[in-house]
Amino acid sequence: MTTFRPRFRPNRRSVLQGAGALFAGLTLLPRFSLAAEEKKLNFYNWDTYIGENTLAEFTDATGIEVKMDLYADNDELFAKLKGGNPGYDVIVPTNDYLERMIKADMVIPLDHSRIPNMSNIDTLFQDAQFDPGRKYSIPYMWGTVGIGFRKSAVSATPDSWKVLLDSDEYAGAISMLGDQQNVLGAGLKYLGYSLNSTNADELRKVEDLLIAQKKNIKVFAPDNGQDLLASGEVKLCQEWNGDIKQVMAEDEDLDFIVPKEGSLVWQDTLAVPKGAPHPENAMAFLNFILDAKEGAGIASTIQYATTNKAAKELMPAEYQNNPVIFPPADVLIKCEPNLYLGEEAIKQRDEILTRIRAS
Amino acid sequence: MAARLKPGQGPLDYGSRLWLRLLFAAIFFVLYAPIITLVAFSFNTDKRGVVWRGFTLDNYARAWNNASLIEALTNSLVIAVIATVFATVLGALTALLMWRFRFPLKGAYEGFMALPIVIPEICMGVALLLFFVNSGMMEFFVHMPWPLNLGNIIFAHVTFCFPFVAVVVRSRLVGFNRQLEEASKDLGASEWQTFWSIIVPFMKPGLIAGALLAFTLSLDDFVITFFTSGPETVTFPVKVYSLVRRGVSPEINAASTVLIVITVVATVLAMKLQAPPRADKG
Amino acid sequence: MENWKQNPRVFWTLGIPPSVWLLAFFIIPLGFLFVMSFSDKAIVDGQVSITGYDYLTGFTNYIRAFDPLYLGIMWKSVWISALATALCLLTAYPIAFGICFAKDKWKPLLLLLVVLPFWINLLIRTYALIAVFRTQGYLNKILGWVGLGPYEMLYNNFAVVFGLVYVYMPFMVLPLYATIERLDKSYLEASLDLGGSQFQTFMRVTVPLTMPGIVSGVILVFIPCLGSFLTPDLLGGANALMIGNVIERQFKAANDWPFGAALSFLLMYATFGALALRYLFSLRSKGVDV
Repeated sequence: MTTFRPRFRPNRRSVLQGAGALFAGLTLLPRFSLAAEEKKLNFYNWDTYIGENTLAEFTDATGIEVKMDLYADNDELFAKLKGGNPGYDVIVPTNDYLERMIKADMVIPLDHSRIPNMSNIDTLFQDAQFDPGRKYSIPYMWGTVGIGFRKSAVSATPDSWKVLLDSDEYAGAISMLGDQQNVLGAGLKYLGYSLNSTNADELRKVEDLLIAQKKNIKVFAPDNGQDLLASGEVKLCQEWNGDIKQVMAEDEDLDFIVPKEGSLVWQDTLAVPKGAPHPENAMAFLNFILDAKEGAGIASTIQYATTNKAAKELMPAEYQNNPVIFPPADVLIKCEPNLYLGEEAIKQRDEILTRIRAS
Repeated sequence: MAARLKPGQGPLDYGSRLWLRLLFAAIFFVLYAPIITLVAFSFNTDKRGVVWRGFTLDNYARAWNNASLIEALTNSLVIAVIATVFATVLGALTALLMWRFRFPLKGAYEGFMALPIVIPEICMGVALLLFFVNSGMMEFFVHMPWPLNLGNIIFAHVTFCFPFVAVVVRSRLVGFNRQLEEASKDLGASEWQTFWSIIVPFMKPGLIAGALLAFTLSLDDFVITFFTSGPETVTFPVKVYSLVRRGVSPEINAASTVLIVITVVATVLAMKLQAPPRADKG
Repeated sequence: MENWKQNPRVFWTLGIPPSVWLLAFFIIPLGFLFVMSFSDKAIVDGQVSITGYDYLTGFTNYIRAFDPLYLGIMWKSVWISALATALCLLTAYPIAFGICFAKDKWKPLLLLLVVLPFWINLLIRTYALIAVFRTQGYLNKILGWVGLGPYEMLYNNFAVVFGLVYVYMPFMVLPLYATIERLDKSYLEASLDLGGSQFQTFMRVTVPLTMPGIVSGVILVFIPCLGSFLTPDLLGGANALMIGNVIERQFKAANDWPFGAALSFLLMYATFGALALRYLFSLRSKGVDV
């Protein structure tokens, strides 16, 4: 078996770098190893997904210049890094993609001794099923998927997936997300199965349910359900909580709820991809991100739920108690994180989605 | 060469026909309605641009102060200009070759030349990513100073642009009267002289159309750029795609408006500069 | 057309730069995916590998592409693209025609006006289009003032066709412009003088003479339409799924590059065949090179 992978090309520069790193490793002096790396860091992130001043403050504190490049979704990130890492040091994958990257040997283990601020992480997130012992990642933000709706346009609070998936009440005024995980996930949850089910029977029932309901669904929106909701094009939409929160700030008639059957709970993480040219700087950066004050700065810009306990405590009460950002515990208990299900299952589920869309 | 009609109310003076003008107006209205709203809303105070709240220039100020946005715009323009030049030359050569010569397997050759048009963008993006990474070109260009670090993107853009230019230029060349060329050679002009003084002027509208197309394609490309870009090479479309998912901001509208103005001014200037020496450009 | 042997120096001068470029930056890169389209994901320890492949295992991906599910999607993509191309031709021809018959000093400006909207990013343009045409959009608001509507104009197949026409218009206008520009107007005069009506002249003189431009335009619009995915994604309804979307998902969400490659190559084989046919036709009708 061979793979397309960035081969190690020993040019003069990398040999020198390698020698420098080796030397540093032998002397066990962190100061030396830092000096061996140029003062640069390539951060690969979603746009606007960082505190307004975080990067500048990091440069002030360490002298390391951060360059942020952008991607729009996890699939793009994964596809690009699968071809080969062109030089990124820190990436922001969501939990299931991180799991996939760990299994594909695309990320490198973290040096926990360089990230003392990991103690700031909320105990809930200190460990993770998808990354036991947090060997490869630190948690960043987390959130849920639920139903965004226009209060004046619904007869009752849509607290069940039923209104989206099994009812004619809002025919033609519904938008769903466009990926298999969320479309099938919502169906699975509604029918009382696990979001991560790979059981053919259960998936078939979801397929039938969605094909029957398709006439009532206006659109499978890639990631603009909140726009459709805000502009009055739909009355209900399946969306990420953070997206709905954004439009809620401008339109009081909008609200968000996590259905009572439960839903997906996601977590974005920071990790270091294999082939990163500045791994030492990357560790310093991760540590900086986990700083309480920086974490608070990030949370107040992004307005997603932070996984940083120390940072959360620095935030105003309206953030800490916002039910859209932090759903109540009784709802959360029914939510599941999405797991990496293996390539075969992903292929199967993708084909089911294609069948639903093409039917 | 085309006979020129004097302006007036002749049977061929379609430009002054009412129905054609109305049709023109209708098509341009549909073409421009979204653009006009976009430009208008770049002056809007409302953050999401759903309703008109009032006039402001803040969006422009914010776009101007947004260093990453400016950088992305600059990158895009640099890539588009360089890629257009290369693509136009390569496209014109291809068109001339196909137009002038008969050679074995010409059909297959033509098919290969058309492949970059046919191939789904993402497929080409992934293919180029694999190629650049495995050939070491990615590694090589990534460490270059700006603008050389845009090298990979430019190579990719030229590749998908020049077949488009070739198709456009070729359809222009088909109507060329070869006797002109022969006459030129009979009168003692060299291959090169004939090329510059007879063929190039004739190709010119095709070259302009092709170059415009290449520029448009390059400026707008997201998928292939995304896969061929290394660190520190964010282009405008890449920026837009990652930003727009979280809602179109008026800042982006402002930047788009600026982009239009820059390209229009540049094009008009270029046309003005090259116009005088040749009154009749066939 | 001369045989290349008559003037090999010019032949190679013209031929080498584009051929080498295409070979280096297209054919070779594409070779990776061509091989991949005949490959499968590797099985490691009973699990399907995420990044590994077993190369040249056979035609499984092509066979899978002929599943009725995918054939249906392809068929739908073909007719949507064909419809969009036809509409594009119908609207672009008058534009190109009008520009060519406009006064000389207006030509560059008009040409620029046609291309201008396309210098705005596709995504931004599409969002602007949505803002104008959606149910609560500006057009419906204006219609509302005169007591009409609101109409649901987006999120159906027609919206996808309309969106494609909107996106690919310059690909049609520019080649048409380049051919109509060199149309010898004395032929039109002759036809009119000999008693042909404007319509007859158009159908029997203008259209045949500008056929190369029409063919180029149709190729440049139809083919990219087939592979488009953003327009159906944003403007289409719940069942707007074109083959471009499926291919895109194979390279991204489904992480099934071999299948994505096979689907892409099928599209390419089809085009290759079409172009080869066109070449054979041009051989038969000697001299009239389209």
